[in-house]
Amino acid sequence: MSPDAKQNSLGVRQGSLDLNRVLRGRVWKFGDSIETDAINPYYRYPTMEELKQHTMEAYRPEFPKEVKPGDILVAGRNFGCGSSRPGLVLREVGIVAIVAESVARLFLRNSIARAIPIFMAPGITNIVNDGETLEVDYPAGIVRNVATGASIELRKFPPLIEEIFASGGLPEFAYQRYQRETTR
Amino acid sequence: MNQTIAEKLFSRHNLTGKQVRAGDILEARIDGAMVHYHANEPMHDLAVQAGFKDGLPRVWDRDRVFVLLDHHQPTLSQKQADENALIRREVERLGIRCFHDSEPGIAHQMMADYGLMRPGELVVGNDSHTISYGALNTGGTGITRADMLYVLLFGELWFQVPQSIKVVLNGRQRNYPVAKDIILYLAGKYGDDFAGNLSIEYSGTLVPGLSIDSRMCLSAHGVEVGAKLAVFPFDETTRAFLAKRTDRAYESIAADAGAHYEREIVLDVDTMPFVVAKPHQFGNVSPVDEVAGRPIQQAIIGSCANGRFEDIEIAARVLKGRKVAKGVRFLISPASQQVYLQCVKAGLVETLLEAGAQVVTPGCGVCQPKVGFLSDGEACITATTRNFKGRKGSMKADIYLAGPLTVAAAALAGSIVNPKEVFDVA
Repeated sequence: MSPDAKQNSLGVRQGSLDLNRVLRGRVWKFGDSIETDAINPYYRYPTMEELKQHTMEAYRPEFPKEVKPGDILVAGRNFGCGSSRPGLVLREVGIVAIVAESVARLFLRNSIARAIPIFMAPGITNIVNDGETLEVDYPAGIVRNVATGASIELRKFPPLIEEIFASGGLPEFAYQRYQRETTR
Repeated sequence: MNQTIAEKLFSRHNLTGKQVRAGDILEARIDGAMVHYHANEPMHDLAVQAGFKDGLPRVWDRDRVFVLLDHHQPTLSQKQADENALIRREVERLGIRCFHDSEPGIAHQMMADYGLMRPGELVVGNDSHTISYGALNTGGTGITRADMLYVLLFGELWFQVPQSIKVVLNGRQRNYPVAKDIILYLAGKYGDDFAGNLSIEYSGTLVPGLSIDSRMCLSAHGVEVGAKLAVFPFDETTRAFLAKRTDRAYESIAADAGAHYEREIVLDVDTMPFVVAKPHQFGNVSPVDEVAGRPIQQAIIGSCANGRFEDIEIAARVLKGRKVAKGVRFLISPASQQVYLQCVKAGLVETLLEAGAQVVTPGCGVCQPKVGFLSDGEACITATTRNFKGRKGSMKADIYLAGPLTVAAAALAGSIVNPKEVFDVA
């Protein structure tokens, strides 16, 4: 998140995502096929303030109470399956990175389009336990357990996706393109 | 060229005109966009956040944008009414020509009812079940709200061409809809992401006899097994379905001999048992016999997976001259107004009402949920899309997914039962 990040009317912060920043945080570890109903149960809790108090409680009731800014969410395969809903609430409660074995395609598209730091690192669940400290070094393409030193590779994004992240998301990317094409 | 359907689809729609292969990233030209304008973060607000002070400045093609008010129809609160009013103003301001305003129904079914997608087209929607358009040999795929903003402005979007998986369904025709059992069985056997990021191509001896209703169930559930596309071959069934609904030209799409598949799965449907997905995941599947006897308080048939004529028709056949078990709420929601009318004309609604079922207005409401909530400790068997914890209200309720025959049988028995015990399965 850039220092000039601003808040919109829905209480969602915006700003470009700097993939070159090395991230380090305490791990919250989840299992396979965590669905967007659990991440973003907006039908039950329509405002961001309510969502922040209930995200992920279907799997870990203590999560919304105990998560701290700077924490990292680690998950198994197929993270974010189900409906096409963004995981903005995870960023709002302070999660600085999501690292999963694999990510369901619509959750991945949503995370790219909203510039939410998400990383696919097959093998991640084998090298880190709940509560340990994880380091995500995107430029080096490595995720590392700080205590044990165990590390694995993460998947780099293609240049177009990195550009969308740097723009702060796809709507912002679209705005820049529209401005270029209409003010020429 | 040895191309899969996905490779052909994206080559045909590549802005650069170049042929693409699985794994390639491209920017694709979009043929149609099904838009949910509403929900907790309206499209208008997203546009304003991005910098468009007055909201979206345009849509790229007024005839290729389809706005349907399916999730909020009829409205259940003033908040929803206010949102719908905003959408009406936006549709008028942007000059969008295809707007289904006062007609309840699920967007995806209405897209089919009115022939708004055709074979070989690339049609996106900001709803995960847009993948159901593959039933009509259309390249239908779900995108996100933010993706949709980009599509509305430019009629283009980035994609990665998926690898493909061939799913071969062999077997004889049935006297009941078998599609739901097939996809649940596959999810149980191969995992709920066995088609993760892949393009499913359906084929096999069962396919020519599968109705469009059944194909839409299988394609819709592509997303429950992770797929990007879930495409059926174009055949006489597709042609006949579309002949009544569109006069626009189209070019169907088929894979070349020698195309590369990451995986091939062959299912002998004749040896497959009736199955259910137990709480709380789509892939938590077991034969129905393993949970037989489990009492239920609610049964549902509806949604973009199972709210079609054949799903409701089988319920009427099971319940004809019989009664829904005491203490069971049996909700049936046709997928669209057109489907509802078809059911009325066929006499199904009379049969179902006489049996004690409740017919709910067409739309997404029984799945999302808007109606038919569960209380703590209750159990529901449902032919809808998902069984996640809390999906129908209480976090302490159990949701079982099953085919419409199994659901109707349970509604009759008051507990989960093998349909063979109440229906002459053939």
